[in-house]
Amino acid sequence: MKKHINQNSILLRWVTGIFSNKKAVLGVSIISFFILIAILGPLGTYDPTAFIGTPLSPPSLEHWLGTNGQGQDVFSQTLSGARQTLFVGFSTGILVVLIGALIGGISGYYGGRIDDLLSMTINIFLVMPGLPLMVILASWLPPGPGTLMGVLVLTGWAWNARVIRSQMMTFRSRDFVSAAIVSGEQNIRIIVVEIMPRMLSLLASSFIGASIYAIGAQVGLEFLGLGDISTVTWGTNLYWASNDMALLTESWWTFVPTGLSIAIVSFALTLINFGIDEVTNPRLISERIWRESIPPSMIKNGITPVFKKDE
Amino acid sequence: MSKPIISIQNLSVNYITEQKPVKAVDNVSFEIIPGEIFGLVGESGSGKSTVVQAILRILPPPAIINNGKVLINNRDILASSSSEVLKYRWKQISIVMQSALNALNPVLTVSEQIKDVLKIHNGIEGIEANDRIKELLSLVEINHDRIDSYPHQLSGGMKQRVVIAIALALMPPIIIMDEPTTALDVIVEREILAKIIELRKELGFTILFITHDLNLLLEFADRLAVMKDGKVIEIGDSQHIRDGGEHPYTKKLIGALPSATGPRQKGLLPKPKVLDFGDKPILEVQNLTKSFQDSGFFQKKIVKAVDNVSFQVFPGEIIGLVGESGSGKSTIAKLITRLIRPNSGEIILNGQNKKVSEARRVPLEYRKLVQMVFQDPFGSLNAVHTVYHHLARPLLRHQLKNQNELFPYVVEMLETVGLTPGSKFAEKFPHEMSGGERQRVAIARALSLDPDLIIADEPTSMLDVSIRMEILEIFAKMRIEKNLTIIFITHDLASARYLADRIIVLQNGSIIEQGPAEDLIQSPKKDYTKQLVRAASPGWLQKGNNKGVNNG
Repeated sequence: MKKHINQNSILLRWVTGIFSNKKAVLGVSIISFFILIAILGPLGTYDPTAFIGTPLSPPSLEHWLGTNGQGQDVFSQTLSGARQTLFVGFSTGILVVLIGALIGGISGYYGGRIDDLLSMTINIFLVMPGLPLMVILASWLPPGPGTLMGVLVLTGWAWNARVIRSQMMTFRSRDFVSAAIVSGEQNIRIIVVEIMPRMLSLLASSFIGASIYAIGAQVGLEFLGLGDISTVTWGTNLYWASNDMALLTESWWTFVPTGLSIAIVSFALTLINFGIDEVTNPRLISERIWRESIPPSMIKNGITPVFKKDE
Repeated sequence: MSKPIISIQNLSVNYITEQKPVKAVDNVSFEIIPGEIFGLVGESGSGKSTVVQAILRILPPPAIINNGKVLINNRDILASSSSEVLKYRWKQISIVMQSALNALNPVLTVSEQIKDVLKIHNGIEGIEANDRIKELLSLVEINHDRIDSYPHQLSGGMKQRVVIAIALALMPPIIIMDEPTTALDVIVEREILAKIIELRKELGFTILFITHDLNLLLEFADRLAVMKDGKVIEIGDSQHIRDGGEHPYTKKLIGALPSATGPRQKGLLPKPKVLDFGDKPILEVQNLTKSFQDSGFFQKKIVKAVDNVSFQVFPGEIIGLVGESGSGKSTIAKLITRLIRPNSGEIILNGQNKKVSEARRVPLEYRKLVQMVFQDPFGSLNAVHTVYHHLARPLLRHQLKNQNELFPYVVEMLETVGLTPGSKFAEKFPHEMSGGERQRVAIARALSLDPDLIIADEPTSMLDVSIRMEILEIFAKMRIEKNLTIIFITHDLASARYLADRIIVLQNGSIIEQGPAEDLIQSPKKDYTKQLVRAASPGWLQKGNNKGVNNG
């Protein structure tokens, strides 16, 4: 079969749109930078778990970001911590979206009894108090990245499933789905080939939202000491900083680099989300350009501006 | 000619986009004299609604008015400050929007919505306001006991009357009507229009009437302007336009719609001389009933969408299912295509009655034999897939063609429905095509499986008038070439007459009357059918009576 590639494919336009959107490009660059750190980080200057200097010594030429209460190099720890934190964050994001799409998609597409059963399950998970459940599960299960991921997915998937279910329900009754049914298409193919590509922007922003949540919640759990404190992650870095009373000793360098990294990663992910928003909804861009192209004094709510070029 | 009440000079409006701005209205000028009905006609995208929204300056972002003057009683609205604009809105000009459903606030009662207008502009409140509201409702002939009704408790026609009452509230000298009847059924549409014209005679306001339906406008407008691609291409009085106008596009618009009375237009594909399709029906529907549950909080209301409907369709025949909204015609389409399940009754195809429990368990062979063309070509094609995907998938699914035959066959099908060159269209995405082209793709998809029966659910109602005939033509051609059987569902008696051999008239889920198309239209038996025929005939509005009204 001949391959037909058309430059006007919506999917292709999204990808090119993302890469020509300033916000998204900035977000993607920051994330790529941190992923690079996560991969190469452990090759950094020192072994992050080794005792290499006077505890709580401030930044110096030898130790760029100083040392922590255990006499470990903070710079190396920040680099190394990225690996597990980002891995758990993004994997959880992917899992949450996959499970959400599967359960929400099936529930919304089929409707009827299947929907009754699945949405009841979703609702049960939604009303469970997430934070206490996370704390209990994390302290009860053996600590480690697997436990963290499991706990985060378990408490995070339902909201996504709910959103995808309602989106699926609106697509379910669209004519293009009816047309596919009338032409004899199988249901699973309709869901995967016809509907899922239409939901791509939702799935992408769900993934990003879930990743932000997963990184935040994960760091939170580890900060409470519910992670594996023998590993080096951004969460355990903060745990040790707090344990060594970094605030009392005014050794800001033990927690600021890690905290800043977390904030920047979340910020970058949010930027990507804004980018996706603008690419899938060109109106947002049009309105922004509209705002920029006329004098601010003319922008009045509910009255169309008159802007003559010759004036 | 007396002094104009509205004078629009060189109006241009741009929409800002990511690329370069789109010229929605390009250098438009026209004048309206007091007391006349001025029509503005054009197809979708012609800029007619943008013009009227620019007059009121209610165009939302990203619109900018770039040039021109809008003089109302010699004052330029485009040069006025925003507080002045607010004062002149509704007092000088009010507007009746297309969709009454959206124009009314669903959580406020009828009287509250009118009270709002009275209070803001004139400061009328209390008993005085109530009296005024009753007066206004009497004008549009709405019973006073409806004063505390919510919009959802009113019918479509009543809602539109309420919107007109709101527009009349301050008795402005000018009222803009932006497709005020397009969303309504034809009989109600006629009533509303007659009411508008009666009110104008009584109150003497000036009307700027926007519509896509030139023939409708010719019934009552004094003068009109034809718009295309943001430009006014012709202005003239109704008589002149009715005689054909100057511009070829105007001529095309006038000839675009079939009429329900008089001779069938020339140049159309002939129907078979003898309407004899044998006595073995291809499809037989017996006592079909489908009801939907309207789940209220306290009580469940059961709505019978299709009520005990039986009819037969013979091979090679085109059946017209005609009815207004809520008549159950689309539900019948969904039942026959097995998208939904009937509560009772039989659907017998080729003598076989396959009972199926659910839409997803329908046997594949049924899917090959019965195909459907949907109303909205924007919704029935999937935006993320090419035309090729839309046509090739069903063929692969039914294993009708192998990989090598597929592409040539898809191209052939596209060319059959007039999309040449087919190989180019095969690679296009839905959003790269016009509405008419998309509907052709949808028809090609339905044809590609070589079905016995095609159900076309209002296939032209979402399309621009100038291309509707061409689409109907394809169906007529396919019937002759492929001996297709077609169930043509429409609200428009005229196009049913044009295409169908036999017409079935539906109302509230039941069959009212059926018979050969010409017979049914020439001599309708039932009152409802008579009403439909009358509403679809030209000259339904007594013209002439409403002329010569001056703004006092």
